This record gives sequence, C-alpha cells and structure tokens, in this order.
Amino acid sequence: MNHFSSETFRENAKAALADSHLRGALKHATSLFGERRREAAAGLPNWEDLRNQARAIKDEVLLHLDQYLEEFVRNAESRGAQVHWARDGAEANAIICALARERQARIIVKSKSMTTEETHLNSTLEAVGMQVVETDLGEYIIQLAEETPSHIIAPAIHKTRGQIAELFTSELGMPPTDDLVQLTNTARTTLRDRFAAADVGISGVNFGVAETGTIVIVENEGNIRLTTSLPRMHVAVMGIEKLVPRFADLDVFLKLLPRSGTGQRLTAYQSFITGTKREATDEGPEELHIVLLDNGRSRMLAHPVTRQSLACIRCGACLNACPVYQQIGGHAYGSVYQGPIGAVITPQLIGIEKTSQLPYASSLCGACREVCPVKIDIPRLLLHLRGEITARSRRSIRERLLFKVWAKVMMSPSLYRMSAVAGRIIQRIVPISRAWTSGRDLRPIESRSFRDQFVQKGDDPKRRDGRGVPPLQNTP
Amino acid sequence: MSTLKRNSKAREAILGSIRSHLAASVPHDTRELALHQVDVSTVSDSDRVEFGHKAPAGTSLIDRFKRNLEAVGGHCFIAPDEAGTARALTGIISDLQKTNFRAQRIAISDLPVVEKLMYLTDLEIEELTVTPNASDIFGFDVGITTAQAAIAETGTLVLDSAHERHRLVSLVPPVHIAIVDASRIYNTLAEALALLRTGKEISPTVTFVTGPSRTADIELTLTIGVHGPQEVYVIVRGA
Repeated sequence: MNHFSSETFRENAKAALADSHLRGALKHATSLFGERRREAAAGLPNWEDLRNQARAIKDEVLLHLDQYLEEFVRNAESRGAQVHWARDGAEANAIICALARERQARIIVKSKSMTTEETHLNSTLEAVGMQVVETDLGEYIIQLAEETPSHIIAPAIHKTRGQIAELFTSELGMPPTDDLVQLTNTARTTLRDRFAAADVGISGVNFGVAETGTIVIVENEGNIRLTTSLPRMHVAVMGIEKLVPRFADLDVFLKLLPRSGTGQRLTAYQSFITGTKREATDEGPEELHIVLLDNGRSRMLAHPVTRQSLACIRCGACLNACPVYQQIGGHAYGSVYQGPIGAVITPQLIGIEKTSQLPYASSLCGACREVCPVKIDIPRLLLHLRGEITARSRRSIRERLLFKVWAKVMMSPSLYRMSAVAGRIIQRIVPISRAWTSGRDLRPIESRSFRDQFVQKGDDPKRRDGRGVPPLQNTP
Repeated sequence: MSTLKRNSKAREAILGSIRSHLAASVPHDTRELALHQVDVSTVSDSDRVEFGHKAPAGTSLIDRFKRNLEAVGGHCFIAPDEAGTARALTGIISDLQKTNFRAQRIAISDLPVVEKLMYLTDLEIEELTVTPNASDIFGFDVGITTAQAAIAETGTLVLDSAHERHRLVSLVPPVHIAIVDASRIYNTLAEALALLRTGKEISPTVTFVTGPSRTADIELTLTIGVHGPQEVYVIVRGA
C-alpha cells in the first residue's frame, strides 16, 4: 500500500494528510525526537564547535576522497578484509549475490542499512532463492508487512502496536496480545533461530577510518553485533563518502550522531571492526568483505553546494525538524532517503527527471539546516536543485519574459518605485495570481512604501529623545 | 570478465570519477571560498577541543561511571578485592535465581581469572562452560566476562577481542555480568578511543557496550533486551 513514487509526490502528500492516524504518529515521533535532540545538544558545551569540527573533517575527506579511499582500502586489505568496488547498485548487488552463491548460502541475516535499501539488495538475493531476514526490529516489522521504512531512525513509526500484533499473530503464530514485552520477545525468539542458521551477515557502515581500515557500526538493539559475529561471512556495504581520516575523529562523530538521532549520549553498542580475526580459533566471521558503493555519489563532488550532501551522517534530525515531513511522513517522498536530506539526495542519486517535485517539498524555513550536526545547508541545496530543474525545463515564452521584466525592475530603484505605484492601482482592479491566493492571503500593497515611512520617521523628533532607537543615517 | 578484472576496472572508474568531478569543482570552490570563507583545512590534533563532560570536583571516576551506567538501566557494584568480587557475583546470580530469570546455565569467557572467581563463589548452578561455540551459546542464561576498560562519562564498557574471547558470551545470554578493574576506568570517550590506537596495531574487534540492549521501534516506547542482554551488571574491582 505504501509503494509510492517520487513522481507523484503531490498526490502522495495529499493522501498522507488525509490519514489522521499517520499524522498523530508523526506528531508524536517528530516532537519526541526533536525534544530529545535539543536536550542532548544542550547538555554538551561547545555543541557549535563540535558541529564545525565535524564539517571540517568531512570537507577534508571529500576534497581528497580518492586519497582517503585508497588509504582506507590499503589498511583494510592489509588486515585481511576483501574490498569490492561497485559503480552502481546493480554492480553491488551482483557482487554480494556472487559471494553468497559461491558459499552456497541459503539464509542471510541483515542489519539495517540504508545503502542496501538504496540498491534494493533484498529483492536481488530473493530472486536467486535466498532467504533474507531483516533483524532490526523496525525493519523486521516492515519486511513482514511488505512495506518500506517511513523514518530513517524508526522505520515502523507509521504502524500501531495493534497492527504489529496482528502481523505477528498471522505471520509468526504469536498468541494475540498487544503487550510490548511479548511482541519484542516474539521477534527476539524468531530471529535467534535465523541468526543461528545464517550463512552470511550483511550490515551497513556508519564510519570508515582511513588510517586503520576500521569500519564502525552503531546501534541499540544488538542485532548488528549478532549479524557481524555469528555467520561465517560478513559483508559490509558502505557508501564511498563514509570515511573519516583518523581514528581520533570518531570522538566528534560518536558525540554528534546519537545525540542528533535519538538524543542519547551514546547508543548501546558501537562495533569497531578492523579486518578479519587473527587466529583461526578466535570468535567471529572467517571472511570480511567491504563493498564500496559509488552509485552517483562521485558526481556530487563536482560543486561545493552539492558536495556537502555527502557529509550527511544519516541521523534523521532534519526529518524531525521539517514542518513538511512532520505532516506527511516518509512514504510520500517515494524514495529511500526522505525528508529534507532525502529531497536533496534522491534527485542527485537517481536523476532529477523522476524526482523533480522533491526539491519543492520545502518551505525553505531553514529548520533542517539549524539541526544538522554537520551543518549541511539544505535550503541552499534545494534552491540549487530547483535552479537545475528550471534550467532544464522548457518554460513558456510568457514566463521567461515575466521573469526578465521582474529582474529588470528589481535591479533598478526608479523602476521599482514606479512599479510599486502601478501595483497599488492594478491590485485593486485586477485579481492576480489566483493559484497563489487559493491557499494564501495576498495582502494589499501598503499605501506608503517603507522608504517613504522611513524618511518621515527619521525626522520625527520623538524618536530622538534618547529612549527610542536612534535613527539611522538615511543617505539618499 | 574475471572478478579481479571487474574489480580493478570498477576501482579505476570510481577513482577517476572522483578526480574528474573534484577537478570540475575547483572554479566553484574558489568562488565559494571568497563568498563564505569555508574552512576546509585539516583540523590538527593540537587544535582539537576536548568536548567531554568535565567531572564535578570531588566525584571520582568510579562514581561517575556508576551514575552514568545506572542512568541507562545498568547495575553497578563496587568490590575492594577478589573475595569481594566473588561475593558480588554470588549476590547477583543468587538474586537472579530468586526471580523468573533462569540463572542456571552460565557461560564464561576464556580468561582464567573469571573461572577462578566462579570457583570462589558459593553458588549452585547446573552448568558452567568456558566460551561455548556459536551453536551452543543460545541455551545459556548468564554470560560472565571482564572488560578491558570503561568510560566514566557514558557508563560504557570497552570489550577488546584481542585480549579475551567474549564476543558471544557478552552478547547472547539474557544477562551479562562484566568485571572491570577500577584502574581501567577512563574519563572520556576520547581517552578510550586514544587507548585503542596506542601502538601501530589495532584489535580486529572492539565493542563498546552502554547498558542493556534497547529498542523503541514499536510506538517509540522503550523496550529493554531486544537482541542483546536484558540485564547488564558491572563489578568494579579494586576500588
């Protein structure tokens, strides 16, 4: 029911707005996450310094991405990891499929990975007869329901516990209950069977450390630890932008990510995995494969405005802060990445043709920029993409002419003053811009311009009595 | 095409694409720099600001560790010596046996000190196994390990697989009991990260553990113990 397309964003959004249950759940989730983030950020002195430092580290990585990637690969390989390069999603899926088939894998456990959502890995593996089991509780629920995630941190926020209980009863044979502990225990028990039987574990990566070849994965549930400890082969799928130069840089990101995502000081678990085990008798997988995915990312390096999209650490703070996401939720975007960051990443990843409505899914209020832990200027990115869409589209001669005249008027003070006078008169006679005013009020133009009022007020002796604001010098 | 050939072809294509797109960005970067003074210089280690919480004067690292561990739902006991640690272990497990936790089958890591402590306890249990393998571990009720270090500002245990076989024992059983030396508690996350990087080599697997396993994936309501342990006990030894 929720396999929406980005091409029908407006319709999707309308449908979401009519769903009162969804809006209630969204309001609860986004305000709770938002509140916790605020508290967590306030609890750290120098939060702003931390954000600046994180951004500087990411900028450093992105400006020398080729060098840091080579350093990362060298160090990971020297410690026993096998690194695979994938130009696009299909190539990444083919690599993973081949790895699993060569080892005659039947059951694959997965921990949450947005990157594999992006490549649609599960359907590729299922098509060749493998059983793929999502093990993050939210992702597991979504997989059972044959839906897609609606929030990057809480994939199943659109579902009530009653719906989840029904799902577990029909799919897993759980006795009817809506007790949370029992629901969680049912998932725990069912998934333990799968963990014990799995041949391959697939995970994402939060950070790759260039100087050591380490991959870092953060979580709360423990399913990532199980996925990366039990099966004999671990495959980690990582976007090429996920690097930090030094191990010590993790301090900055491990402070920002949990606080921005869930408001925690630290999530329950961080796994730092550097190559394969050293002794045959050690615990853990025998093989570690790291799949590096480009899939449109390297293109974003071509301009400083688009490049900053690659600094994203997938915390979800911008979703919670966005007044548009708060109302419509994730499914309406019709894409893996949702909310403000999704509206800028998706068109760059899969092309602007099919996603041209997404950069307009914003009021440009700037709330996303304010909460972003790596200070991505999302409104500027949205405008940049809107510019690209406009430059590509064939606009009518009328529209082009209109904006040419508009630009002329805005750049000339005398023309501007004349048009304001004309506007006051015309506005009273002709009803204009009906599309605009159908959802908003268009206030009548003030009878006196700010300039006129300013000149008069500036001469007002009452404003010079020392109590009011001293008038500015009004230079003609 | 062979796998190796494909891989090196993809590698060259991706690195080539990165280089050409970065080169295309240079004129825009110059303009952007002039506009915004974006600082893209490397943050040197000497510039690095310490962002950790400063301990209020008078509180010890142990107190801080204990408070922060308890804040995330973990339990903390403090023991002066070996005998005290064994007493704490006895207390934790026998208390569990009185509840509906079945604390009868106990898995321990391969460190001799853990086994020795277990023999010092005064417990009646059905089974004690050193590092059960992956196919057996699911049947155990309690896992006991040490931790190589701890972080006071977050209440975190640092488990380093190079020193102890404790990956599964600390993860699969519903109860995890960890013993950590008081002298191995560090104040900040940054100190613990620096510790992992001393010397040239780095352990194949290091895990940070902060309290019990948790999820809020159903209606954003916190539920403890989804995939990992539901209960985490830490005994700080030598305090």
